[in-house]
Amino acid sequence: MTPAPGRSRTALVLGGLAAALALAIVAGVAFGAVRIPPGDVVAAVSRALTGHGGTLADAVIVDLRLPRVLLAALVGASLALAGVLYQALFKNPLADPYILGVSSGAGLGATLALTAFGTSYAARAVGVPIGAFAGAVLTMVLVVRLASRRGRLDPTSLLLAGIAVSYTLSALTSFVLVYDRETMTSVVFWMMGGLQNRSWEHVAMLAAMLGAGVVVPSLFHRELDLMLLGDERAGQLGVSVERFKLVALASASLVVAGAVAVSGLIGFVGLMTPHMVRLVIGPRHRALLPASMLAGAIVLVVADLLARIVLAPVEIPVGIVTALAGGPFFVWLLIRKERAR
Amino acid sequence: MSPDGRLLAFDGVTVGYGARTVVRDAAFAVRGGEFIGLVGPNGAGKSTLLRAVTGGPDVTAGDITSDGRSLVRMPDRERARLVGVVPQTPVPPFALGARGFVEMGRHPHLGRLASPGPADRAIVAEVMRRTDTAHLAEERIDELSGGDLQRLTLAQALAQQPRVLLLDEPTSHLDLNHALQVLDLVRSLADDGMAVLGVFHDLGLAARFADRIAIVADGRVTPPAPPAEALDARVVADVFGVRAVVRTDPVTGTLAVTPILRGADLSPGASQVSVGLVCGSGAGATLMRRLALSGLGVHAGALNRGDVDHAVAEAVGAAYVELPPFGEIDAPAEAQVRQGYAACSCVIVTEVPFGRPNLPNLRAAVESRRPVVLVGHMRADRDFTGGDARALWDMALGAGAMRVDTEADALEAARALSGPAATTHPEER
Repeated sequence: MTPAPGRSRTALVLGGLAAALALAIVAGVAFGAVRIPPGDVVAAVSRALTGHGGTLADAVIVDLRLPRVLLAALVGASLALAGVLYQALFKNPLADPYILGVSSGAGLGATLALTAFGTSYAARAVGVPIGAFAGAVLTMVLVVRLASRRGRLDPTSLLLAGIAVSYTLSALTSFVLVYDRETMTSVVFWMMGGLQNRSWEHVAMLAAMLGAGVVVPSLFHRELDLMLLGDERAGQLGVSVERFKLVALASASLVVAGAVAVSGLIGFVGLMTPHMVRLVIGPRHRALLPASMLAGAIVLVVADLLARIVLAPVEIPVGIVTALAGGPFFVWLLIRKERAR
Repeated sequence: MSPDGRLLAFDGVTVGYGARTVVRDAAFAVRGGEFIGLVGPNGAGKSTLLRAVTGGPDVTAGDITSDGRSLVRMPDRERARLVGVVPQTPVPPFALGARGFVEMGRHPHLGRLASPGPADRAIVAEVMRRTDTAHLAEERIDELSGGDLQRLTLAQALAQQPRVLLLDEPTSHLDLNHALQVLDLVRSLADDGMAVLGVFHDLGLAARFADRIAIVADGRVTPPAPPAEALDARVVADVFGVRAVVRTDPVTGTLAVTPILRGADLSPGASQVSVGLVCGSGAGATLMRRLALSGLGVHAGALNRGDVDHAVAEAVGAAYVELPPFGEIDAPAEAQVRQGYAACSCVIVTEVPFGRPNLPNLRAAVESRRPVVLVGHMRADRDFTGGDARALWDMALGAGAMRVDTEADALEAARALSGPAATTHPEER
């Protein structure tokens, strides 16, 4: 029973999540092939921040572990943000960038960009995010078109169209990769959702895209609440529904593109986290958005940590860990939704 | 406010979905302080017309304006400060607090970065008090009944502080007490200057609360008229295919619409055989309805305007001779009744009390030379003629009239006397 949590409760939850994220990041950096005491992690980061770096251990922490863990946090936050947006805009609790096919679209776009522009720094920094964004937007348009009948969007058709398009685009991506064997090896691992060998360059790129993508949802959190009442009711209460949907979906596509460009296809984070957060904090987006982003970051940092230590020294792609947890969760939601009818 | 005060005006509006037109050329206006009811059969386009104001269906011709400004082209936020809607569709269930739900109505008044302030919270508290939902403030809307949600939706619309209020069957989920409470509130809002347009399923509620009523049928809207004009029995029969008694309720003083027949073919000339009825004061109402259901015509004698049986006769399409209220049956009227009864298969004398004014009905029946069926007994408490009614009754019995105890027996007899023209309506078991 959580009726409209008060401000103090919201602040408490957000503070708790921020603290948990900090802990998860420290743990993410500390554990790995070489175990580093958590105290050393904090010391190394503060040395780096104040400009007194230099030791080899510091280099491992600051240049290898830290960007990877921060990137996991940013990817998790991006996917959770996109999940919150899709679920509100489509009034569909099962909507998520992976299930809607947007991730696959971004993946195909990114792959095509890689094939077309090569793997130079410029290509990766500019071409891949743009390709991913274009792929995400076009896929979104395609899926919504396929699922609409006379202007009405059927929730079940949306999921079916998303899954069908997702499979098709993944197959196309594989086709491109087989055709272009040069980029294949690295891209296949990337497609499975991985965070290996990521650098500050990736962190900066995703931070910029997430920063841009979070502006509209933050300013328009009340519109997102109103969208839960249905498009027509939202319009009656003063929301310019079509325009708002356009910018909000563009924002979602942007952060999904960013996440896919740096880490490939990681499913279910955008589906699970908003649900878990809603149970605690309620459906109002003013609190739901930041809390889901924090929770998504925690989920992916922990998932990445598990991916690294479960079969150490072998790493599992983190997308496999999230799918193992998220697949059953999806089934549970589906059953619950059917029973609620 | 502009001089004409047309807070909501449909100026030759045609609405529909894509290529499908639902209502065409709607032309009427709601002024501040006025409450107009929209009635009509299901699927006639009442809701479509209402929803077109806030941009649901397409307006393909004409314009919907407020004080001369187009609501169709107005930015959504601005329009939401002017027009509040209580839609018919239920709110999708999600775990939102009721107060937060009502507070959503403040949205069009809030700045981009502003949160609801003390003034907004005061407005929310006030509309929740007026809609009798204050006690629900801490509840979650996904755990409330449909009726509670409907009143919260009204509160949400009122939190917009609109000058125009649109209601789409605002009482469909409410029990009678809450329905009357909500409509009393809406009535008082209109009295305070709001322009109200409401779609109603219940003709009686529409007649009771609306100033004027417009009928939506066959893709057209009639000009709004006072309930007594807009909802006469013929209109109700034409529009809804239901025979109804429409009369002023003696208790509430408002128009009451009571459906009495559905489906029987009551068009003039449909029945070959008629049964005469001596009735009045409601004594013939049930028999008239059941005779009509049996496919028989009815001649109800001479009836005063304002009499219940007069209204029923009109509703079932019975023939009768009309008298002014409390008027006596004079010689010409009696001659007409006599003529009417003479064409009937038989004449039933119901348990109506007799006085000087209506005695000619009984005399016409007894002297009609048609078979007469007498219901009940001519006791002293029915006879206010000093024995003349009794004398006619006995004369009829002497001439071989059939006497029965119940209306059901009388109906049975009338059907037997009318031959194969009498059929059995599904409602008659």
